[in-house]
Amino acid sequence: MNPVLAADITLPHINYGAIAPILILLGMACVGVLAEAFLPRTLRYPVQVLVSLVAQVAGLATIIGLALSNYAKKPTLTAGDALAVDGPGLFLQGAVLVLGIVATLLIAERSVERGGAFVAQAAVTAGSEADAEQARRQPSQTEIFPLSLFALGGMMLFVSANDLLTMFVALEVFSLPLYLMCALARRRRLLSQEAAVKYFLLGAFSSAFFVYGIAMLYGFAGSVKFHDIAVAAISSGKSDLLMFIGLAMLAIGLLFKAAAVPFHVWTPDVYQGAPTPVTALMASCTKVAAFGGILRIFYVAFLDSRWDWRPVIGVIAVLTMVIGAILAVTQTDIKRLLAYSSIANAGYVLTGVLAMQKDGISSSLFYLVTYGFTVLAAFGLVTLVRDQDGEATHLSRWAGLGRKAPVLAGVFTFLMLSFAGIPLTSGFTGKFAVFSAALGGGQTTLVIFGVLSSVLLAFPYLRVVVLMYLQEPAADAPTVAVPGALTSAALAIGAIVTLLLGVWPSVLLDVANSAAQFVG
Amino acid sequence: MSIAPYVPIAGLLVLGALFALFSCTIAPLVGPKRFNKAKLEAYECGIEPAPVPAGRFPIRFYLTAMLFIVFDIEIIFLYPWAVSFDMLGTFGFVEMLLFIVTVFIAYAYVWRRGGLDWD
Amino acid sequence: MTHVLAHPLAGQVLALASPGAMGTGEKVAFWVLGIIALGCAIAMVAARNAMHSALFLVVTMFCLGIFYIIQAGPFIGMAQIIVYTGAIMMLFLFVLMLVGRDVSDSLIETLRGQRTAGILVGLGLAGLLGGGIARALGSIDAKGLEQANATHGGNVPGLAALMFTRYVFAFEVTSALLITAAVGAMILAHVQRNGEKKTQKEQSRERFAEGNHPAPKAGPGVFAHSNSVATPAILPDGTRSARSISPLVEPRELTAEDTRPKDTLTGGGNQ
Repeated sequence: MNPVLAADITLPHINYGAIAPILILLGMACVGVLAEAFLPRTLRYPVQVLVSLVAQVAGLATIIGLALSNYAKKPTLTAGDALAVDGPGLFLQGAVLVLGIVATLLIAERSVERGGAFVAQAAVTAGSEADAEQARRQPSQTEIFPLSLFALGGMMLFVSANDLLTMFVALEVFSLPLYLMCALARRRRLLSQEAAVKYFLLGAFSSAFFVYGIAMLYGFAGSVKFHDIAVAAISSGKSDLLMFIGLAMLAIGLLFKAAAVPFHVWTPDVYQGAPTPVTALMASCTKVAAFGGILRIFYVAFLDSRWDWRPVIGVIAVLTMVIGAILAVTQTDIKRLLAYSSIANAGYVLTGVLAMQKDGISSSLFYLVTYGFTVLAAFGLVTLVRDQDGEATHLSRWAGLGRKAPVLAGVFTFLMLSFAGIPLTSGFTGKFAVFSAALGGGQTTLVIFGVLSSVLLAFPYLRVVVLMYLQEPAADAPTVAVPGALTSAALAIGAIVTLLLGVWPSVLLDVANSAAQFVG
Repeated sequence: MSIAPYVPIAGLLVLGALFALFSCTIAPLVGPKRFNKAKLEAYECGIEPAPVPAGRFPIRFYLTAMLFIVFDIEIIFLYPWAVSFDMLGTFGFVEMLLFIVTVFIAYAYVWRRGGLDWD
Repeated sequence: MTHVLAHPLAGQVLALASPGAMGTGEKVAFWVLGIIALGCAIAMVAARNAMHSALFLVVTMFCLGIFYIIQAGPFIGMAQIIVYTGAIMMLFLFVLMLVGRDVSDSLIETLRGQRTAGILVGLGLAGLLGGGIARALGSIDAKGLEQANATHGGNVPGLAALMFTRYVFAFEVTSALLITAAVGAMILAHVQRNGEKKTQKEQSRERFAEGNHPAPKAGPGVFAHSNSVATPAILPDGTRSARSISPLVEPRELTAEDTRPKDTLTGGGNQ
């Protein structure tokens, strides 16, 4: 060996215990793909459901173990400083998994729609004879389970990545399976494929912005590590311009995933076209992951330059809240209504993030979990209202549902009240937390716009409630399917957590508070 | 000059291009040409053939191309590893092995599901 | 290739390529390839046929790859040639063939003024970025190539060192991305056959099985008074054969007007 090459490299120390949750998820996803490869068709579904749930429960247990063994108090960096195991990271990973488990229950449901909500073979031409045949007879394909595990593993990596390169790889790892999953609906397949193409093209575009931002920041700081960027922001002699171009580009990539205005245009179409369980996964877990990334970048890399960029992101937050609420009012489709409401909710979380102090982190974490559970239950209920064409999502079809299905209408009303921020629901405590954090951080304007938009947003929610109870059902009104065990469990968890965090928020808020310290 | 190590490659490229050019130009020049009118007409009956619009490729070409890209990217990662194999030692070997085995899960899936069968 | 780079000289050779100093060979290569690359880039945009466009793009990307190598970036140069010029462009061409190479985009704007607005906003963004970067970089001296290459003996070993130390996790996770890509391609493009493929023997047995007709189907209009595809063939016993016409076509009795001689050969006249 020659002396030039002998320059030793110091091997990275990898704390396998600390990154075990991510390894479990990605490893089990590989097991899922192998199961797809080698198991006979009949065995695949039970094995995949088992693998999927075991992976997530084991991951969650590991996260709780890590949190209890003081990683939140004494955060570490591992794998060559590429991963940060700290309070917010663990909290967000746990949140992704808890919401992921509930979403998996919805994905695994096979009795509401016979054979499941997914197409048997996505490669069969939509609308052909073979397609009609497979829609009638064949059960859903089961690749959806390893794909969702890859997505969840990517999200967990995304929220704990400590440099921009790892973050970008994680962004792609969780985005790519989501693009695919959007295209797999059993009914209305062209709509579903259109949603996937839109999501993919715009997502790839936003990823390109993200990479461009990484290049700019590397040019500015000479490193892609968050800590080095933070140091360079204070001490670098280079022009700040490079940093702000980089930050703007990164923010575009992240705010796209979080569905903030003006990067939200994909949301309604994709939420409407994707199979509803996948929409539920996107509305809950992707939102958690996107805001996890936003929190870490803003609070670790760009904390000291916040006076310069905070007004810009503040404008985006206001736009997101106001435009999301206004457009929600005009919607006639329940999935699109929930999509616009999720856009407005991204604005509320952004308000909490912009507090730029400790309770800004904890309130945002809290809000993400409360919103995630409520939106999961809401989309879970949407899967139940059906006619012979599948889900009946047009609002007029929901008229009079309160008489036909009092339990469903009751639960949905409760969830709508939570979205509207009525006290004794988690929607109220979440909004209270983010708005008070923002007030504490001096963001009064944001809070004023936030409250105004919440009032406006209450209108479409209450309109659905009025529609369900005060109107006569149509003659051909959709039926309400009897939820299978899995959907029932998902609905029960979603509704109970919404109530629990409404009356007793401190149970989670305390955890979020003790977790709200980033490692840099 | 930094391009010195690439001169052989450039030479090979030029040779390849020259060979292609040579084959294309020489064939019509030296090949026998015995045309007559009847030879150019449609056989015995039928109408004069009109140029048919090119058909569409079956989708399985796309699958092959995608799989090719997956393994192409794997090879690109092998390149720096192979160059620095001595420096990276056992750790590098284990990590690369892990990477290759993981990508081969994709291969196993595609193979078992018949993605490699042509019909 | 690789062994050339691993050679001790290679590291030093690469380290010599410092910014600013430009040899004659490099200059020649730059001007020759630059003109080719630019010409092909313009031709790519201007070409009417999508296939030609793609092929011009191949040449441009190849020239870029050589530029990278000349600029002392052998890894990115090789990646450009192997992955982009090789694999990605092949995918481009395949997709063009899948769609059908005669298909052209509809040039009708669904939102009026969208294209103009898009071009203006794009130019604005490019100006903003270009101006900003020019201002930000104007005061910066490039440095560090010799330094970076010296540590591990060249560009590729330096990359390898980074890939297996600081970014080893990102590198390993990339395999998850590749698996997803392969699984996704299979899901979206592969139709699974149900059961085993029939052997020739089985196909032959099936053909002569009870109730099947082994001979080719009669063409529509055979022994009938018209050669319309809607006219069923007449079997020797005088019955109509439903098998002779496509199930999509509705068989119909032809009217006298339909069967009247049209005198198409003599030019007839009364049509």
